[in-house]
Amino acid sequence: MEMVVVAPPAPSRLEDLKRRFFATPLQALLSLISLTIMAFIVWKLLDWAVFSAVFTTTGGPEACQAAAGACWSVIAARWRIILFGLYPFEEQWRSALACVSVVVMTVLSCIPAFWTGRRIALIWGAGTGLYYVLMKGGVLGLPYVGEEAWGGLALTLFIFVTTCLIGFPLAICLALLRRSDLPWISRTTGLIIDGVRSLPLISILFTFAVVLPFALPQWLQGDKLYRVILGSALFFSAYQAEIVRGGMQGVPAGQEEAAMALGMSYWQRIGRIVLPQAMRNALPATINQFVISFKETSLVVIVGFFEILASGNAAYGTGEWRFAYVEVYAFIAFIYFIFVFSLSRYGAYLERRMAVGER
Amino acid sequence: MDSTLPSGPAVRIEGLDKRYGSFHALRKVNLSVERGERIVICGPSGSGKSTLIRCINRLEEHEGGRITVLGTELNDDVGNIDGIRREVGMVFQHFNLFPHMTVLENCMIAPMIVRKRPRAEAETTARRFLAKVRIPEQAMKFPGQLSGGQQQRVAIARALCMQPQIMLFDEPTSALDPEMIAEVLDVMVTLAAEGMTMICVTHEMGFARRVADRVIFMDGGEIVEEAPPEEFFTSSRNERTRQFLSQVLGH
Ligand SMILES: Nc1ncnc2c1ncn2[C@@H]1O[C@H](COP(=O)(O)OP(=O)(O)O)[C@@H](O)[C@H]1O
Ligand SMILES: [Mg+2]
Repeated sequence: MEMVVVAPPAPSRLEDLKRRFFATPLQALLSLISLTIMAFIVWKLLDWAVFSAVFTTTGGPEACQAAAGACWSVIAARWRIILFGLYPFEEQWRSALACVSVVVMTVLSCIPAFWTGRRIALIWGAGTGLYYVLMKGGVLGLPYVGEEAWGGLALTLFIFVTTCLIGFPLAICLALLRRSDLPWISRTTGLIIDGVRSLPLISILFTFAVVLPFALPQWLQGDKLYRVILGSALFFSAYQAEIVRGGMQGVPAGQEEAAMALGMSYWQRIGRIVLPQAMRNALPATINQFVISFKETSLVVIVGFFEILASGNAAYGTGEWRFAYVEVYAFIAFIYFIFVFSLSRYGAYLERRMAVGER
Repeated sequence: MDSTLPSGPAVRIEGLDKRYGSFHALRKVNLSVERGERIVICGPSGSGKSTLIRCINRLEEHEGGRITVLGTELNDDVGNIDGIRREVGMVFQHFNLFPHMTVLENCMIAPMIVRKRPRAEAETTARRFLAKVRIPEQAMKFPGQLSGGQQQRVAIARALCMQPQIMLFDEPTSALDPEMIAEVLDVMVTLAAEGMTMICVTHEMGFARRVADRVIFMDGGEIVEEAPPEEFFTSSRNERTRQFLSQVLGH
């Protein structure tokens, strides 16, 4: 007799759904109710955001108020304030270019091919330098624009990127000092880290922006913007230092011993053996910390900066567009989403890439 | 350090004392190893074997006594320590390969950043030693993709790429499945035949019989007995040695 072995057919998509959501009458009922609710919400949202929405500025605010849906005209009318804040109108192309330069710099430094000390330094130097020259002007025929007039997305990006550029190396230094063999060094560092972490970011920003000028001599104060960036970098580094230290604890002691036995110096062991593995362990938490920092840039409004959220307030806050705040916040949320989502996806890519060596 | 140094022992240990807190791990240990000599150290677990050889390249700091390696005394002088570590290779029980680098990179990194060799030269050397430990074809893999025996052979190649004058082995086969022990021992036998100065902590008594010039038995932080293998295995007078031998030899 001939034996024919037939594999059971793989369940189709439809059958799979049936099995999951419509197994019993009660389950089917619940599934149907949820489906209806979801469809209703989606329909309402779409209707508000697209079908009944107003997209053009031709009718002005009045046409918007008459319509049942979203008033996207506010974005069309006020996007420049949202993106560039109080930056002089005729010079806003500079602010746009500055944004582009920071974004390009960030994207480039995310590409593994550029991960050598010299290339990264070059990219960061060029990116921040270009941003600074474009925004501040006063050279190359560009009219001068002081830091107090910077705002919107351009300011948010600048604060975020410089916070990370300063905060990350600082975090690694703090993590290494906390691991020091000398008890007084590790204990002092621990105190600093825990001290900073137990303060709210707002109070640190306030101290650096408002209180510090009383304590420092004139020549050391710098502009308020840079003091605020330093404060935010310090805050970032305290949290990130603990993340890096956690990553280092996950590296077996044998790794450093093997490096020592090969004659590597302290910095070679840290730079080539311990940190690369520690950062791999710390990657998910690190990406998380970046995301949190990006969102926390909105707190600088406390000390008088018009980053994107504050610029958004200004965009609808004056007179005629007062009713359209939901649309403005939706737009800003969308911009945040783009940046934060890209950051998380990049983190996932890095994890996959690093997993190659670990099978 | 210079390989053309006038002759003298490769390692001289005099009155070595080592404590971990209140625990006395090494008590007045004396040991001298000539250039080209092969020493096997054995003894029960916790007897201080690892501690002793880790003192030779300063993975552990000693409290008392003197350690002189290739004519240089080990003290707090960091330059001396770095110099000695360049000349003393070490192989660990758990391999300790760098998991984030390929096998080839594992073998190239120290020659490049410690000895400042150009990349091309480091790669040639690395490939030569990978061929010598009989895994040239695994060069582009990551350590995690290799078997234990292969990993340990990479670890040996990695140490050899620094072209050390002395090799230390700390139970190199203890973490391996039985069928992989031979491939690692074969490499070590070849190395011994080429005249490398070797200090091996191991319980592989067959290996000791074959290559050792002297076998050292430790217990309780002391060297209890020291003899050529023939004498050590057949006519040891010491009670503790005989008890230990009957355990590891299984009769
Ligand atoms: N870092 C350490 N701290 C405290 N005690 C240690 C440490 N390392 C080793 N010891 C102790 O020293 C003794 C000798 O250890 P070791 O040299 O590793 O023995 P062996 O290698 O012969 O098994 C053991 O009792 C061990 O518990
Ligand atoms: Mg041991």
